Amino acid sequence: MDSFAKEIRKNIIHLAHISKGPHVGSALSCADILASLYDGTLKLDPWDERDIFILSKGHAAMALYSALYVSGIIEKATLDSYCQNNGLLPAHLDKFSARGIEVSSGSLGHGFNIGLGMAYGFKKMRSSRHVYALIGDGESQEGSIWEGALFGSRLKLDNFTAIIDFNNLQGYGRSCEICSFSPIIEKWSSFGWHVVEVDGHDSGALKRAYAETSNEKPKIIIAHTVKGKGVSFMEDQLVWHYYIVTDEYRSMAMEELK
Amino acid sequence: MRNAAINAVIEKCAARNDIFILSGDAGLGVFDDFQKEYSDKFLNMGVAEQNMTGFAAGMSMTGYKVIMYNIIPFLLYRCYEQIRNDICYQKLPVVLIGIGSGITYAPQGMTHYSIEDLGIVQTLPNLVVFSPVDPVEARLAAQYAIDSDKPVYLRLAKRGEPVLHTCNTFDISLPQVIKNGSEVAILFHGSISGEVLKAANQLSMNNIDPMLISVPQIQPLNEDKIMEMLSGVRHVFCVEEHYLHCGLGSILQRIKVDRMAVWDLHLMGIPYRFIHEVKNIDAMRDSFGISSSSIFDNILRILEVKNG
Repeated sequence: MDSFAKEIRKNIIHLAHISKGPHVGSALSCADILASLYDGTLKLDPWDERDIFILSKGHAAMALYSALYVSGIIEKATLDSYCQNNGLLPAHLDKFSARGIEVSSGSLGHGFNIGLGMAYGFKKMRSSRHVYALIGDGESQEGSIWEGALFGSRLKLDNFTAIIDFNNLQGYGRSCEICSFSPIIEKWSSFGWHVVEVDGHDSGALKRAYAETSNEKPKIIIAHTVKGKGVSFMEDQLVWHYYIVTDEYRSMAMEELK
Repeated sequence: MRNAAINAVIEKCAARNDIFILSGDAGLGVFDDFQKEYSDKFLNMGVAEQNMTGFAAGMSMTGYKVIMYNIIPFLLYRCYEQIRNDICYQKLPVVLIGIGSGITYAPQGMTHYSIEDLGIVQTLPNLVVFSPVDPVEARLAAQYAIDSDKPVYLRLAKRGEPVLHTCNTFDISLPQVIKNGSEVAILFHGSISGEVLKAANQLSMNNIDPMLISVPQIQPLNEDKIMEMLSGVRHVFCVEEHYLHCGLGSILQRIKVDRMAVWDLHLMGIPYRFIHEVKNIDAMRDSFGISSSSIFDNILRILEVKNG
């Protein structure tokens, strides 16, 4: 695990602890994906011409807040106000809450389509800005995702990259049992997308996938991940979609992330 | 009214190059002129309303002035959550043009009517809502929508509505006096205007001279202006092609209570139930008590009771 991703994970545990709220497993699942984006992939300077990252699976907000903090985009005081009375950062994303929150999300199946619209807008303006949207595998059961999948390839949106945080655990069970996506690569390919399959915890593989040319097609990266990754007792455990990080759990997790 | 709104959009395109129209596979022929001149500023998004709405929000975030066009249930109901979260919550100045207000599409069936949309929009903060009575109001509302920095919903009937206004320029955000009168006022909006006008003419022939007030901007409603216009009025009637319990009439009921208004208020509209009857628009209006003759009869009856 690289140091950027480790810092994101430590902050996720911190936020889950101070908020006594759910979704720590979901946030840890995508920590490496966010690290690979915020550690050099996203063009953020000048800010007005920055690339856009949309966390469509808004319940993993702790991961984004942590990435924004580790990247120096938000202040420590902002981060620490997460879910506190009169604080700035809510449990699901509100774009008016802080710098770097591009889209309000929380209900699934929204950010992906907003991202397609942004990518089209940038393309029409002949801007080189790129749009990335991270969706969950459970989220991929939303009809809106497939409406967008049908439409995205028609517009040749090669400035749009979707990433699926494919951890095979959603709110109430295994995604493959609730509504299987198999064969997921063939599905997205047949919709006209450039599909790349990677280990979602391998920063190098993720960065190579971002750089891969998509031949005028929108790109989707199937990132195989483990829910709760980085904290052994949370890994691949459904309960950590909901469990609260108590003082004891916090100490155990931080010890592992040293 | 539809063409007046679209023509206003085309006129605006001469002065600004950021306008972009998304259609949900609706409006065959409506955009021919627009597409001739601005072919690169129009997309048919297909029958995929959730994607269309999120996509519109995304384009708006890049700086485009996006106009969405569809039949009202498919514009507002199918994708309510996208309207709520993607557009209104994020306060994006997207223009929602919906056609087929009320029972304009009768006898196409309940799926194609929009008799509850004003109830729905009252749950959407930031959204400005217009229900114009004629092409003049439709044109001004479209102009307002394009210049607005907030999301705007234009609730249009279809085409062929009579022109009520003699003046082409006025503040569309305010209620408008179409005809002066005393003691009795009729407030109305949207597609029912022709029936209201006919009823008012019949009333005049019976020595009742109602003030006619159109209310193009339903949300936010300028309550002060309404109260000012109704000062001195004793009997207020609200007529709308919309459910009685969640339209302009119900808003007026709240205002009456909040402001302790002295005028009495009587609502005419569509009862709270699904419509299963197969009737054309005239027959349906008649059965709901909002045809011109029903409006006339109702007002006459109520005034006789009130005035003893």
